[in-house]
Amino acid sequence: MLLSISWRNIWRHPARSGVLLMAIVAGLWAGILVSALTNGWIHQRFVNLIQEEITHAQIHHPEFRTEGEPWMYIENSDDIFSFLDRDERILSWSARALIGGMIQSPLTSSGVQIRGVQTDRERATTTFHENLTEGDYLDSELRNPVLLGERLANKLNVEVGNRIVLTFQDLDNEITSGSFTISGLFRTASNPYDERNVFVRDVDLQELLGDAVFHEIAMMLQDEGLSEAVTSNINNEFENIVAESWYELSPELRYITDMGGGLIVYIMAVILLALAFGILNTMLMAIFERMRELGMLLAIGMNKMRVFFMIMLESVILTLTGAAGGLLLAWLTLEYLGEKGIDMTSMGGDSMAEFGYDAVVYPIAYSNDYLTTITLVVITALLAAIYPAFKALSLNPREVVRE
Amino acid sequence: MAIITTHNLSKVYNPDTIPVHALRDVSLEFEEGEFTTVRGPSGSGKTTLLNMIGGLDIPTEGFVEIDGTRITGMKDRELINFRLNNIGFVFQAYNLIPVFTAYENVSFIMLLQKREKSEMKERAEELLTAMGLSKKFDSRPKQLSGGEQQRVAVARALASRPKFILADEPTANLDTDSAMNLLDMMEKMNKEENVTFIFSTHDQRVIDRARRVITMVDGAIFKDERK
Ligand SMILES: Nc1ncnc2c1ncn2[C@@H]1O[C@H](COP(=O)(O)OP(=O)(O)OP(=O)(O)O)[C@@H](O)[C@H]1O
Ligand SMILES: [Mg+2]
Repeated sequence: MLLSISWRNIWRHPARSGVLLMAIVAGLWAGILVSALTNGWIHQRFVNLIQEEITHAQIHHPEFRTEGEPWMYIENSDDIFSFLDRDERILSWSARALIGGMIQSPLTSSGVQIRGVQTDRERATTTFHENLTEGDYLDSELRNPVLLGERLANKLNVEVGNRIVLTFQDLDNEITSGSFTISGLFRTASNPYDERNVFVRDVDLQELLGDAVFHEIAMMLQDEGLSEAVTSNINNEFENIVAESWYELSPELRYITDMGGGLIVYIMAVILLALAFGILNTMLMAIFERMRELGMLLAIGMNKMRVFFMIMLESVILTLTGAAGGLLLAWLTLEYLGEKGIDMTSMGGDSMAEFGYDAVVYPIAYSNDYLTTITLVVITALLAAIYPAFKALSLNPREVVRE
Repeated sequence: MAIITTHNLSKVYNPDTIPVHALRDVSLEFEEGEFTTVRGPSGSGKTTLLNMIGGLDIPTEGFVEIDGTRITGMKDRELINFRLNNIGFVFQAYNLIPVFTAYENVSFIMLLQKREKSEMKERAEELLTAMGLSKKFDSRPKQLSGGEQQRVAVARALASRPKFILADEPTANLDTDSAMNLLDMMEKMNKEENVTFIFSTHDQRVIDRARRVITMVDGAIFKDERK
């Protein structure tokens, strides 16, 4: 009955309640959408980083990641390879020779990271080959093929089929260089990455280095959650190397995964704070115009707890009705956009690529986001109604029933 | 034994600024089954007296006893509960919950009393029918005339099975026909079910219907006549 009285009281002023409801619907819809977009960006970035390059776990010489010297390669790599092959949790792995060096075209030169990859294994382990926009992957018929980022190619003013020269220190610290033919161009979501990395075949690079060494082994697991267990296994088994999970490898991944989940709370807090004033105002108006009626209820014997509860309930029902509408609308919007994605190019989405984020975003709303939102909405409705509800309690039935 | 006793009731409003003596040493007794009106000029203290008896206001001096229970000095929460279960109220206006139908308004008070659903339904229907509102169960207050609204209010007051009903100028907003009709209904309930009514009024024709007339002047009892 309290529920019914609350619900009907809300509709005493359809226009007033309606406006507030619309505001709540719009606010929550926008909040969910913004958070879903951000989630989508984060998720895509996560998937991009993991699947294109970082993978779930990597093995290096203990100092390679900080020093990056050519001689800091992985010893006993064959033993490690067969160990990895025996572990069922590891879907695939790929070893890489990594050297910092220079790329030269007839026009200019640039500093790059040269990545010597095992072509078949790399294809099986990462999705990097999907970033190819022109030409062929490294397994073409060419001698010394190389893949360049589109941006780097533009900068060097070269195209597929042209030759470039790669210069770097070999394992004996001698400067060495080799001529490579551009077999293809790639574009990832990250512009800086495209400018600083070139891909060659492991064997071609090792020939120039002087030995068949690898600096990095990357592996994809059955599940990203296995990475800690797998790396600690490897670390226990081998010395002079260190295996690390994606969480340890990438500060960016660490940051976005740590922050991502709580994002909705901040976005909703801001929106609900604004809505709280609307709710407060509506509830105050509702109380003031009902003073006599509330006084009558107290006079005939409705206790103050019930009156208080009734007003709180009114606020919660009103707000939850709006919230239900907002969430439903957001859900429908996301059902539609989740598959199509939102192309942010026209809204300056291109500049997102500078930071490594795709221009087309597939928004993601987690079911937890909806739950969090509903919880926050109820809290807001209660907080906003406390003052009006106390106002109603301070009523003196004697004053109110006097004509 | 009297169901209501007021012991030397006094009420002074604004004692610190311009004191208003709304009640002066009022001692009265009301018996079960009375049909009593309180009359007197405007400002003579009728509403103040009824509010004291109804536990809506606190006397400056003296106290009120209902059926042997001293209500003066009760805690707020106790008092609300006491009102709910012992006193029926009919006000001059704003009696009903506007979003509820006549039927719901009458049931509501029994719901507050946590009565059985079946009892609620039976009693609400019975009382509304007795009040001549059998066709108005589902009407909201706005769809009812002033007289009909007051009859719903009487039904609501009766629904809680109170010891007595207090009605402060229940007919003040009604035309003569409606006022007399309301009085008919109240009188019927008084005769048939021995319900005690205490009501205030200015209206001579209403006064004529009462069996006991208490006249107040300037906060004091001027006359107390029984027919
Ligand atoms: N809250 C209050 N503060 C100050 N004075 C008050 C208050 N309530 C009532 N009074 C005064 O107390 C006196 C008695 O008022 P009361 O309302 O009981 O009279 P009444 O007989 O019901 O009058 P009416 O016929 O106009 O309803 C009046 O002088 C009134 O002005
Ligand atoms: Mg009065």
